[in-house]
Amino acid sequence: MNAPLKDRQAALQGMGESRLRKEDARFIQGKGNYVDDIKMPGMLFMDIVRAPVAHARIKKINKEAALAIPGVHAVLTADDLKPLKLHWMPTLAGDVQAVLADEKVHFQMQEVAIVIADDRYIAADAVEAVVVEYDELPAVIDPFKALEQDAPILREDLAGKTEGAHGKRYHHNHIFTWDSGDKEKADAAFSAAQVTVEQKMFYQRVHPCPLETCGCVASFDPIRGELTTYITSQAPHVVRTVVSMLSGIPESKVRIISPDIGGGFGNKVGIYPGYVCAIVASIVLGRPVKWIEDRIENLSSTAFARDYHMTGELAATNEGKITGLRVNVIADHGAFDSCADPTKFPAGMFHIVSGSYDIPAAYCRVDGVYTNKAPGGVAYRCSFRVTEAVYLIERMVDVLAQKLNIDKAEIRRKNFIRKEQFPYTSAFGFEYDSGDYHTALDKVLNAVDYKGLRKEQAATRANPNSPTLMGIGLVSFTEVVGAGPSKICDILGVGMFDSCEIRVHPTGSAIARMGTITQGQGHQTTYAQIIATELGLPSEVIQVEEGDTSTAPYGLGTYGSRSTPVAGAAIALASRKIHAKAKKIAAHLLEVSENDLEWEIDRFKLKGDDSKFKTMKDIAWAAYHQPPAGMEPGLEAVHYYDPPNFTYPFGIYLCVVDIDKATGETKVRRFYALDDCGTRINPMIIDGQIHGGLTEGYAVAMGQQLTFDAQGNIQGNTLMDYFLPTAVETPKWETDFTVTPSPHHPLGAKGVAESPHVGSIPTFTSAVVDAFAHLGVTHMNMPHNAYRVWQQLQASGVTS
Amino acid sequence: MQVKLEKQYTIATSPEAAWLVLRDVRVLASCMPGAEITEQVDSTHYKGHVKVKVGPAVAAFGGEIEILAFDEVIKSVRMMGKGADKGGSSASMDLTASIRPSSTAGQCLLLGSSDVIVNGKFAQFGGRMMTSVSDMILGQFADNFAVKASEFYAQTNPDLAHAAGANTAPKKSKAQTELNAFSILWGLIKGFFSGLVGSKK
Repeated sequence: MNAPLKDRQAALQGMGESRLRKEDARFIQGKGNYVDDIKMPGMLFMDIVRAPVAHARIKKINKEAALAIPGVHAVLTADDLKPLKLHWMPTLAGDVQAVLADEKVHFQMQEVAIVIADDRYIAADAVEAVVVEYDELPAVIDPFKALEQDAPILREDLAGKTEGAHGKRYHHNHIFTWDSGDKEKADAAFSAAQVTVEQKMFYQRVHPCPLETCGCVASFDPIRGELTTYITSQAPHVVRTVVSMLSGIPESKVRIISPDIGGGFGNKVGIYPGYVCAIVASIVLGRPVKWIEDRIENLSSTAFARDYHMTGELAATNEGKITGLRVNVIADHGAFDSCADPTKFPAGMFHIVSGSYDIPAAYCRVDGVYTNKAPGGVAYRCSFRVTEAVYLIERMVDVLAQKLNIDKAEIRRKNFIRKEQFPYTSAFGFEYDSGDYHTALDKVLNAVDYKGLRKEQAATRANPNSPTLMGIGLVSFTEVVGAGPSKICDILGVGMFDSCEIRVHPTGSAIARMGTITQGQGHQTTYAQIIATELGLPSEVIQVEEGDTSTAPYGLGTYGSRSTPVAGAAIALASRKIHAKAKKIAAHLLEVSENDLEWEIDRFKLKGDDSKFKTMKDIAWAAYHQPPAGMEPGLEAVHYYDPPNFTYPFGIYLCVVDIDKATGETKVRRFYALDDCGTRINPMIIDGQIHGGLTEGYAVAMGQQLTFDAQGNIQGNTLMDYFLPTAVETPKWETDFTVTPSPHHPLGAKGVAESPHVGSIPTFTSAVVDAFAHLGVTHMNMPHNAYRVWQQLQASGVTS
Repeated sequence: MQVKLEKQYTIATSPEAAWLVLRDVRVLASCMPGAEITEQVDSTHYKGHVKVKVGPAVAAFGGEIEILAFDEVIKSVRMMGKGADKGGSSASMDLTASIRPSSTAGQCLLLGSSDVIVNGKFAQFGGRMMTSVSDMILGQFADNFAVKASEFYAQTNPDLAHAAGANTAPKKSKAQTELNAFSILWGLIKGFFSGLVGSKK
């Protein structure tokens, strides 16, 4: 490309450029506009009375003292919502959830009553004045105990119901059984196997813990009959549909606005009782009502993630070729099944559990169970349950390697799906779009001098005076993101497409409106870059607007790394509609045939003649000024993109840890992350996303856990206990990449933000366990905090 | 949060004097810092409250005590206490306490065995400190118990008490009207550091 062309290209700041984030100017100056920044005239405040115990009957709720406090407008309980039929609500998973505890409390911190008052302080005082009498019942915390014959019945509202949203229920605390793969074929592979391994593991209950907690401002206008709600939602259109269905207000009169969102990570996908209560209160009182959770409420009651008790089995040859996989999971869903998954998949995309490996026979089964814990089960920075699946298969491959005494890089190389096998259909039926795992693995091993590391490890092990144990973790993950094809993926019946509307204005600037919503991903920056490249307009003059359901086209929102795979494709295709019309206008203006034109960066030009051209800016003016006869004026397009398949980003991660033999403190010496997310739109943003994802992965692997005592009291629901790493704890990250475009995506892009979370967690476990591998340890459950690692040091007889 | 506590304290009085404290729920309650019996419902049921102050936060547990068993001969009493706080905490305690003679003259042993369940905010935030805090609370309780028992002892045996001299003279009863978490915390900190020092042999 010659210099003038390069300059024109650079001026667009399009795809492939590390364009600085447009959002940051307002965020770093404190000029963001979050839900809690919204102030409306006459606005009231809501606070929630929550259950102090995990399982109890409500004997009596006494509101008098609270109502007597000056400034208190209302105290509402389930009985007050009953006439409106709003005391229970449907969940995204086909279950129902109590909006306010109806006669019975199912988990500690459950919503029991709400208080509406003039300000936040009066509301908090009034919450303390509401006296609730409870009759305590035995709490069931362990999902295995929940399935025992004589376990207490947790969901009396489902008594006698043997059919759930996902088939037969075989026990009163059982929610669903979901399976995938070919059980007989898998069993046969195990019968014929030369070697088999089995490993139990517990993926602990964690919480996404976004910096901004959940909340909303609901404002019902009784004159116009219109409801406007500002809300912390990753899926505002879904909220609009559900609110309309629950309230009976026509969807056209419901406006949901997600303003700036301070991180979601799955926590802001669901519809919470707090939102419903604030909306009801606004309708009842005819005034705006604000509800903002505090940190303890966020960690205790809004959606958790994981809580999978998993058993994995591999069948293999003596040489380490995997011939079969079996997986069994007991999934603790808490008191209500409010998992946020595509409706037909109660365990999400867990069946990606065969990973990056060519496994001929595989079967997995997940049983969902009710316990006296908060509901949830969201995809914490991952595509639905993919983190759990990747964790299991990566752990199992390590366990097999250990049993056969094969190096963990070697066993992966031996079992990878080969480059020429793509598109590859897995034993669970997924069609992997593209990949080149061998190249990526070699790149990482060379970059870190893997052989040298193993040599150093052998020397450390041989030295009795070494103060540390050295461990090397290796993971080769494949994700499944971009949900998804609407023939199999829907939420409450709405297909999981996404959308984009682009309007090019007469003077050559443009606005794009999207069905997704950024929560830190930088959509306003990257989406504009796609349009810049597609339409030849500078990204500086392209506005990207999201989150207002009254202006944006319908979309399913941002989670599961679906923004680039689904909405990114919608942008490209909407742009191409405009591009096609622009070409017609250019031909008209230059008085030539369309076939004589070619596209060059920002203009259509006559083939072979650089002097005859029309820029997109010229064309935009003409589209409004003098379009060709018979052509509609204007230059805009809408596209709804229904993806033909998921995308399958992958990566190779390697981690080196040194564990202090005396204290159990684990120091991450090196973390090398190679990601392949297909076409790269903004390398700087990709790096930022990977840093964030690795840090959240580090958090989960090394410290995060929501624990409960035997009575169901949640332990550690404050940031004093719940591990949120800062720059102090976070290791240094090294990033690398390969590019294997997705063949079915218009841009070849696959999505990236969640890969580092999904991939890094098993890498940390792999490294920590590797430090103990020579002592016969095959697995250690997370989190790998100093105390737990110290316990393993004691159990393994390691002395400093 | 469930904690089982087995405790034994040496009390510098006769078993008979100590029993006088243990057998009377009102007197016994007054030994518990911050506790008070407010009403006797019938021969075995009482109502009362305990006030706990942790920094700026005050929790007032109101509840009931039921005497489940009472044995003058072996000087043993078993009771069940249940209470709740408006701020969202609740607790129950199944306690068996008895007085045993000691091999040392002029002393006896106070034995306590209890099963404490705490729910709500106290269990959420204080879970890991429960055992150590309980130790401190019961330590204060035993001190107060000893003082009370000595007072009874002095009333019933004025001569003996006088003859025993200054060492066994009853300490002045500390006016503790609420459970003071500051002194508990201080006790914990002291205990932690003395533990550190002690472990370095």
